[in-house]
Amino acid sequence: MRSLKNHISLIIPLFAILFAVEFYIVIDRLIHEYEKKLTNDYSIIVVAKKPLSLQELKLADPRINVIKEIDSTLVINRLKQNSVIIDPKELKNFLPKFYRLFLDTFPSKEGLLRLKKKLLKVDGVTRVETFMKIHEKIYKFLLFVKNISKLFLAIIFITSVMLVFKQIEVWNLEHQERMYIMALFGAPLWMRNAILVKLSIIDTFVSIVLVYAVYFYMVTSGSFSKLLGIEELSIDPGSILHDLLWLFLIGVVISIINIVIVSSRQHRVT
Amino acid sequence: MRKNVIVAKDLTLAYKPNVPIIKNSSFKIRSGEFVFITGPSGSGKSTLLKSFYGELKPQSGILQIGGVMMEDITSSKLAFLRKYLGIIFQDYKLIKEWTVKKNVMLPLLIAGYSKDVCEAQTKRLLKHVRLEGKEHYYPLELSGGEQQRVAMARALAHNPVIILADEPTGNLDEYSSRVIWGLLEGANEQLGTTVVVVTHSIPSNLKVPFKHFYIEEGRVYEIS
Repeated sequence: MRSLKNHISLIIPLFAILFAVEFYIVIDRLIHEYEKKLTNDYSIIVVAKKPLSLQELKLADPRINVIKEIDSTLVINRLKQNSVIIDPKELKNFLPKFYRLFLDTFPSKEGLLRLKKKLLKVDGVTRVETFMKIHEKIYKFLLFVKNISKLFLAIIFITSVMLVFKQIEVWNLEHQERMYIMALFGAPLWMRNAILVKLSIIDTFVSIVLVYAVYFYMVTSGSFSKLLGIEELSIDPGSILHDLLWLFLIGVVISIINIVIVSSRQHRVT
Repeated sequence: MRKNVIVAKDLTLAYKPNVPIIKNSSFKIRSGEFVFITGPSGSGKSTLLKSFYGELKPQSGILQIGGVMMEDITSSKLAFLRKYLGIIFQDYKLIKEWTVKKNVMLPLLIAGYSKDVCEAQTKRLLKHVRLEGKEHYYPLELSGGEQQRVAMARALAHNPVIILADEPTGNLDEYSSRVIWGLLEGANEQLGTTVVVVTHSIPSNLKVPFKHFYIEEGRVYEIS
């Protein structure tokens, strides 16, 4: 019973650390996915007095990936629909060139403003429309969640590392006599601490299984996306499985650092 | 000419600065000697023994164990030195969670012997200390005398150069005491192991020649 309590006392803080780390990773991954989605869907409209080439625009900003000319007939048809009396032939000669620009990365609001300024400086460009507001809402929300998760991660990390440290100190006291006897016969530090490392590895393993179980449930049931209000984005449960190795390493490294600190404070043995 | 394995010159030992337990004492212990350290309670017998296995560093003077200077010994050097020592305590200092077999195996595991060698040596030693058949017992399932014999087997397991014993028979009945003295004499006579024993009284029926140090008021005297 006491042993179970000791294990739980380490599993809980380790679970908290690893859960927070995984939360941060998932949010970061969602942001990347959303950026990719935005990049594919998003385009900038450029109006120019003369024909533009991709090379010319890339000189202004290398993020411009594709340029597509909008057929002027579409513009004329739209004008016709609005009951404007026009001569299509004459208008065609008179109309400026319309282009759709696609980017390779989704820029921030500030980045987009800078891009707009750069495009307006390109010879012949008279107008640039970025349509930023449509996409900004979710993107801003995700960035907000990412910043919150950073803060959440920092707080959980500090508190949990302290709890892990305390628990390892308790273990150290429990095993002090054994470690002392081993030291009397010349056991090196790693051998004396082997039991603590073994216990930490077992508890880290239990913690990552719990983290995976919770995330797997949240992701497959859709409650994670619902919680964040981003149902249109999907999280691959396989990617969480891939993170487990890193989480395991983080858990073990935190435990080992704590073991080394606790052991170095024990002067009696050597 | 036998080598000196323990050399002390103007040795002062203290737990607190300016409160010496052992003061400016000089002595030598040669390889293969059987040495008794006696003296009144609180005279510093166990303190002196502690300095031999590096738990207490000299405050001043020189202390050499197996040629290693103990004043500025590092943790790794101390761990290395302890592989050549066999230590026995009055309270046995067995690992309660481990079986008798694993306790005896401890110095062999530390020395890095293979499992087969550890098993064979442990079996031989348990027979030697008359504990065959009790290898799977835990220390608390044994009597005091049996526990001390386990500690004795553990101290002998890795064929140490020096055995350091702190009141090894202090808590034992007559039979167990006789067995322990017999084992210490055997190690000294047959293997040439240096034996240093801290005790209140020297057994009268000891067969081996021995050296006697007496501690009084912090000074170590050799009694011929």
